[in-house]
Amino acid sequence: MPVSSAMSFLPAIEIKNLLKDYRTSLRGVKLRAVDGLSLRVPENSIFGLLGPNGSGKSTTLKILLGLVKPTVGECSVFGHPAGSIEARELVGFLPEAPYFYKHLSGYELVRFYARMSAVPTGVLEARVAETLDLVGMTTAADRRVGTYSKGMLQRIGLAQAIVHDPQLVILDEPTAGVDPLGSAAIGAVLLAMKRRGKTVVLCSHRLGQVEELCDHVAILDKGRLVLEGAIASVLARQEQHVLTVEGWSAAAYEAVKSALEAHNASLLNVEHPRISLEKLFVEKLSRNTGEKTSSFGYAHGREEQYGPLGRPETPPAAQPLPHAPAVEVSLWHKGKKPPTLPQ
Amino acid sequence: MNREALQRVASLATNTFTEALRQRFFAFLMLLGVMLALSGILLRTFNFGTSELKFLADFGFGGVFLFGSILAVVMTVQLFFSELESRTALTLLARPVRRWEFFIGKFFGIQILLAVFIAVLIGVLGALLAMRSWELGREALRLGMPEPWFSTHGLLVFAFLQCLRLAIVSALTLFVCSFARTFLYAVVVSAMATLACQLQGIGDAALAQNKQETLLHLFVENCGRVIPDLQVFDLGAPLVLQREGLPATVVLGVIGYGLLYIPVLLLLGIWLFRDREI
Ligand SMILES: Nc1ncnc2c1ncn2[C@@H]1O[C@H](COP(=O)(O)OP(=O)(O)OP(=O)(O)O)[C@@H](O)[C@H]1O
Ligand SMILES: [Mg+2]
Repeated sequence: MPVSSAMSFLPAIEIKNLLKDYRTSLRGVKLRAVDGLSLRVPENSIFGLLGPNGSGKSTTLKILLGLVKPTVGECSVFGHPAGSIEARELVGFLPEAPYFYKHLSGYELVRFYARMSAVPTGVLEARVAETLDLVGMTTAADRRVGTYSKGMLQRIGLAQAIVHDPQLVILDEPTAGVDPLGSAAIGAVLLAMKRRGKTVVLCSHRLGQVEELCDHVAILDKGRLVLEGAIASVLARQEQHVLTVEGWSAAAYEAVKSALEAHNASLLNVEHPRISLEKLFVEKLSRNTGEKTSSFGYAHGREEQYGPLGRPETPPAAQPLPHAPAVEVSLWHKGKKPPTLPQ
Repeated sequence: MNREALQRVASLATNTFTEALRQRFFAFLMLLGVMLALSGILLRTFNFGTSELKFLADFGFGGVFLFGSILAVVMTVQLFFSELESRTALTLLARPVRRWEFFIGKFFGIQILLAVFIAVLIGVLGALLAMRSWELGREALRLGMPEPWFSTHGLLVFAFLQCLRLAIVSALTLFVCSFARTFLYAVVVSAMATLACQLQGIGDAALAQNKQETLLHLFVENCGRVIPDLQVFDLGAPLVLQREGLPATVVLGVIGYGLLYIPVLLLLGIWLFRDREI
């Protein structure tokens, strides 16, 4: 179900003045879950929908899927009205805290969902196997879903959301309850989806991961949009710059300092760059499990070995942390806007 | 309706059925039903002669009637609400699965389950009747009395009618589920509705006896016009034990009655479920 080229200028999702009131009692008391939300999710991006508990994230996603009707406002998915069959054909969805059919095996579950999304019978088996491999559930695929751990449930949930190769994947807290390795691997799957031209929308409370994965973020509070934008522009402190340097020395410090002063800029801070705790965790643990570690290929106790899938982000085993010897320098330019630094 | 929709309904029905098969509750009720049917045989030390077959059959019919009704109500609610509570309904309805496909898929899955239940119970009952009529037949021959008799064909017709009866009960229950918010509410309301449908015939009979124009009378009378009368399906004794059986028109009439109510109840349920927020 590829989107025709005539539609490709459309945003993946467009939400206009969305408002949702839930009736919370028979006397007509209403609860405003979403309050005048307008959003555009660009195609082929990873979009993070953030906000505290009860801020209306899940409600917004459900409206996009036609599971809940908006009180006021319009939503469209690739130009089709939200909830229409055409829109739903393009979407894969993982709800928050799903349980799934306990009596099926992982393989049967994903095959069932593939059937429900009209994956052609000819490619069905291959597609299911491929998807299970992608999420690293091949080895556990014969076990009943009722025996899965929380992280495995999330992974099988991701598999059912992407088995029909949708254009848009909507994930409500895909990494809730998943350990850092598992959530890094889910992140890797999402990045792979993006590389293949797909759009991903995710809700998450793991801001570290959102920051790493997402191109765009929107923050909701009490149903209202607080902030929206590309992650780089939202987070950058536009007036300051960071240089990452190798082979730092006291002499270099003096030279840089005076060179900068000559250009009317001042050196504010010198420190070692830090990697996130999450990244450190992933790097340490993937190193311990041997060389050819897959994205989900860590051992959870001996019996849970997952399928082979190289994780490009993970450095090869027994290498030092890539950023360890580097030093980070913060600069502040007093004059006009300096030229942007190369990445 | 196209091929894909049919395939989805078939997949949903199969999944519903296999899920139900694993439920302990189903096995438990099946066991109770079989035990009730078998308990008739415990009393065979008293020789009832010909009327013993009727005695045996009544136990079997009772098992189908009682446990079948409980199964049709409780399993329907259980299978419907488990989809909502485990949020699998969300993963299905976010796909190009229409609400009616989901609803009808559930319905047919439950019908397969109920058919299995009825087949097992009627099978046990049939075996008991065959065994006992053979034993009693030899006895009767010795004493020069008329041989006891039952109709296998009538038993099969009865089984089919019970499938229809339970289909109405489960369609009624699904209709309640389409708007009910909680499991308990759905079970209680569906059970009361089923009871009302079962007793409705008795109410009508009572009305016919003393004609008065009280409010209660009017209410019961008008209810009788809309809600299905489940008593019309209780044709076990004449179908199975009467040599002359029942005229085809009566049986066809009852089948038509069932086939009329089932789609009406399902359509009402789909209509309410279509706009439900999940
Ligand atoms: N079916 C419902 N009926 C009534 N109120 C609801 C319903 N669903 C959600 N709400 C209310 O709407 C508000 C927004 O809920 P929502 O689930 O969208 O929040 P959220 O941002 O996803 O929160 P979380 O981070 O906890 O998942 C909450 O106050 C919630 O109580
Ligand atoms: Mg939520």
